[in-house]
Amino acid sequence: MSSSPLPSYLEQSPEVAARFARIQQRPITLTVQNLSKTFTAPNTPPRLTLDNISFHVHHREFLCVLGPSGCGKSTLIRIIAGLEQASSGSVLLYNKPVQSPGPERGMVFQNYSLFPWLTVKENVMFGRTIAGIPDFLAEAEARQWLSLVGLADYENAYPHQLSGGMKQRVAIARALANKPRILLMDEPFAALDAQTRAQMQDYLLELWRKVDLTILFITHDFDEAIYLSDRILVLSANPGRIAEIIQNPVPRPRNRQQFTSPPFLATYNRLQELIHPVSLLQNPSNLSNIPRLTHTTDQVE
Amino acid sequence: MKTRFFRPFRPLDPHWSPLLTIGSFLLPLLLWAAFSYIPWLWHPYVKITDPGSLTFLQKNMLMKKADFNSANQKAIVEGKTPAKGIPANPIFLPAPHEVAIAFYKAFTTPPRRPGEPWLHESLWHSIQIIFWGFFYSSLIGLPLGILCGVYPPIARLTEPVIDFIRYMPAPAFGALAVAILGIYDAPKIAIIFIGTFFQQVLVIANTTRNVEYNLIEAALTLGTSQRQLLSRVVIPAIAPNLYQDMRILLGWAWTYLIVAEYIGASSGITFFINQQAKYRIYDNVYVAIIMIGIIGFVTDRVLDDLGKALFPWHFRDSRSIIGSFYNWLKPNYVPRNFPIRVPSSK
Repeated sequence: MSSSPLPSYLEQSPEVAARFARIQQRPITLTVQNLSKTFTAPNTPPRLTLDNISFHVHHREFLCVLGPSGCGKSTLIRIIAGLEQASSGSVLLYNKPVQSPGPERGMVFQNYSLFPWLTVKENVMFGRTIAGIPDFLAEAEARQWLSLVGLADYENAYPHQLSGGMKQRVAIARALANKPRILLMDEPFAALDAQTRAQMQDYLLELWRKVDLTILFITHDFDEAIYLSDRILVLSANPGRIAEIIQNPVPRPRNRQQFTSPPFLATYNRLQELIHPVSLLQNPSNLSNIPRLTHTTDQVE
Repeated sequence: MKTRFFRPFRPLDPHWSPLLTIGSFLLPLLLWAAFSYIPWLWHPYVKITDPGSLTFLQKNMLMKKADFNSANQKAIVEGKTPAKGIPANPIFLPAPHEVAIAFYKAFTTPPRRPGEPWLHESLWHSIQIIFWGFFYSSLIGLPLGILCGVYPPIARLTEPVIDFIRYMPAPAFGALAVAILGIYDAPKIAIIFIGTFFQQVLVIANTTRNVEYNLIEAALTLGTSQRQLLSRVVIPAIAPNLYQDMRILLGWAWTYLIVAEYIGASSGITFFINQQAKYRIYDNVYVAIIMIGIIGFVTDRVLDDLGKALFPWHFRDSRSIIGSFYNWLKPNYVPRNFPIRVPSSK
């Protein structure tokens, strides 16, 4: 599975190919082997959410998991985080199986999940004090992380006094303070407005470039996945299977002008094909059941 | 633009708020005053001002209106001088000013018989009964409720039987309490305990169950152990709601007070009220009842304000008098708990 043949429609420049060769030289951080998850609820047939998922993430790699809603991508990241149990298969972090949540897998949630009773600084200190680090050390560390995410001035604020983007930066700092081997991000920017989201994406890329981070990033946003990732793991829905793992041909460093570059568009189109096999508009019978409720002379187009 | 006064669910214009608060107390007071001071409103009795030639009447005596009229008619027929009187209310409805005077007098006049408690002594005794009842109940109920909320097996083991006992009225245990604990304060505290405890466990368990599970998950991914989870996450997360629950439960405890004090040797404010009613000093009965209301209301307001100072992240942007006072007392205090100013973004 490690070196799947490169699809012909996504041509990599020699530099990109060289980068991927370099990535594959690195140690494997996370291995997911034959992972399946079946949900059982009373009065409903058991539902297979994840079916035989296998992949791995190299050290310092940025892997995006992309899929339509209901494909089980959140379940996948929750199993990796240890918040849910897999029905079968295993998750290995540096070849050690994981079963329960732990600080070596940092998690950033969509809804921030900051502790409202703690100040920004105390939120970032939380993981360290839990680990028994003395307060003055944890505090000094927290200050460094906060200045890294640009919130040094806000250390005494409470989470409810911050904007969404700031809250998410605190959440990232809180996860990073534990120095995790891998950072799991579950649609972290989905609740933010478009401008803030763009800023946070740039910000995360910058952070990833400068800090020793391996990132597994869940999203349903194509642009976000292409803009951020080294590889994109595309899940199909019902049951969640790996449709394809795309080696992102867009060269690094990334910038927003690349959104219209050929490799970006090629990737985008491929994602479209994988996730929306039939568009609603391509099959007019899907739309024809809406009767015309306006006068025939009413021409809006 | 005209702002509408009655807007569904919209917050009230802030300068209306104190006026309406005063109004809510003024309204019943006005009603009471109307019944007391407007002679043609109710006033079923006549207070004799001049007995005339009717020898069976005395000055200041209360008499039913119909009896007074027929007695006077009889007197006129017999050629005697009729009695004079003014409309009056029964003795159990004193006028506001009489109660106001009694308010002052009740605290300054010694009890009628030696050995009887003063009003303030009665009240203090009642407050102690409430305090200990609530204290013992919380001592067990608070940890048990939290454990029930966190661990479903504990909830399964305790909640069904608590639900069963909860429906037994606390005063029903009165006779038993006296038999076991004697006639003095112990059975009264027990009644307050029984009335509070079972509700407390269920209410607190429910609050604990409603903890935001996101926060638990976040804490787990940060390396929190099961043991740390309770003290570092669950309790701080639910603390503001627990505080509110305890406030409501304390009010609940007060409602059991009178029944509790009837048990065994009547004591506290109940004894005072009964004694004053026996002496037919109904002004003092009102004073005692209103005093209970004042104590409850003031306690609740103070606890509410204290809650805002203790949990500023929960009661966002609401001002706390106690909190401000604390900050004022300690000007060098590093703001942690009380609302702080966020620096403007650069």
